[in-house]
Amino acid sequence: MTQSSNETWTVTIVVPEDSSLDEAGETYDLEVGADETILAAARSAGVWLPADCQQGWCTTCAARLVDGDVAHPNARRYYDEDDEAGYVLPCTAKPRTDTTVVVDQYDDFLEFRAANDRPPGNSKLDS
Amino acid sequence: MSDEKEHGSGSVAPGDTSKRVGAEVIRERGVDPEELREKLIDAIGAEFTTYYYYTNLRMHLAGEEDYKEITEDARLEDRAHFELVVPRIYELEGSLPNDIRDFADRASCPDAEVPTPMDDSGGFDTSDLAVEDILEVLLEAERCAIRTWSEICDMTRGADPRTYDMAQRILNEEMDHEAWFIELLSKERDDEINPAGHFARGEPGDAPYSTNNRFNDSA
Repeated sequence: MTQSSNETWTVTIVVPEDSSLDEAGETYDLEVGADETILAAARSAGVWLPADCQQGWCTTCAARLVDGDVAHPNARRYYDEDDEAGYVLPCTAKPRTDTTVVVDQYDDFLEFRAANDRPPGNSKLDS
Repeated sequence: MSDEKEHGSGSVAPGDTSKRVGAEVIRERGVDPEELREKLIDAIGAEFTTYYYYTNLRMHLAGEEDYKEITEDARLEDRAHFELVVPRIYELEGSLPNDIRDFADRASCPDAEVPTPMDDSGGFDTSDLAVEDILEVLLEAERCAIRTWSEICDMTRGADPRTYDMAQRILNEEMDHEAWFIELLSKERDDEINPAGHFARGEPGDAPYSTNNRFNDSA
């Protein structure tokens, strides 16, 4: 399906019960434009998700895609194996369908990156 | 120590050199000093890699002497940020990675590479290298730094005034840098006047916020 920039998708953000975020256990449904990142949409809606670089590099925002599809056209460090394993970076991820993500997956994602010998995995976990 | 003043030592026993009250007071206020220091290592990893990459970006602004000078200010100030925060990491019982590759890998911001492919001999292919493309790399590097130091200000506000003071000083200069590169990129790429509103530097790399109250002379 061809997307135009004014189309929006429903993005469901699930904050796990065991998250350290204030929003632990909450679920939010947001309307996110096809040209908008999930992180920006969430923060605009008052849902403060973790992030740092916002350039798809540091992985602070890492999340798991449990349904739907996103694109990372501007991510600086996003690998095929991330995509295959269902990890996404909401700071640069833009929805391509209605989508559900589980946020606050940074620690798990570091382990995943380390297991795949991808940065910043080992450089963080070996410190 | 008098038995009557036993309470004065808090959670750290008198004479105990295995702990630092300077770290424990942060923990008492709700910030994990270990998490903070690891975040600081990531942040100054980005300052250090940026210092390196800006050296190269500045070189490739050939013939654009005003752009070179401004890039040089940003470059040297980013190094000053690295120098400023290194002692804080050791105060928080951390250390720099022994392997510089690890330091670069964990840097909180992307590599600010010259936006051109390598040529067949391993050198820079500058045939299509445009000034505006370099300015955009510089701008986005500064924006990342703003986000990083804002995060550290958030982490430390009201809990760790020493790190907060450093972070807000650095943040001030990163915001200066963003304004400079917005002005330059607007003019170069879009022929638009978009003033930074300031360019207040004395000597190259003056770092008026992060070195006007020095924590150490190397910063």
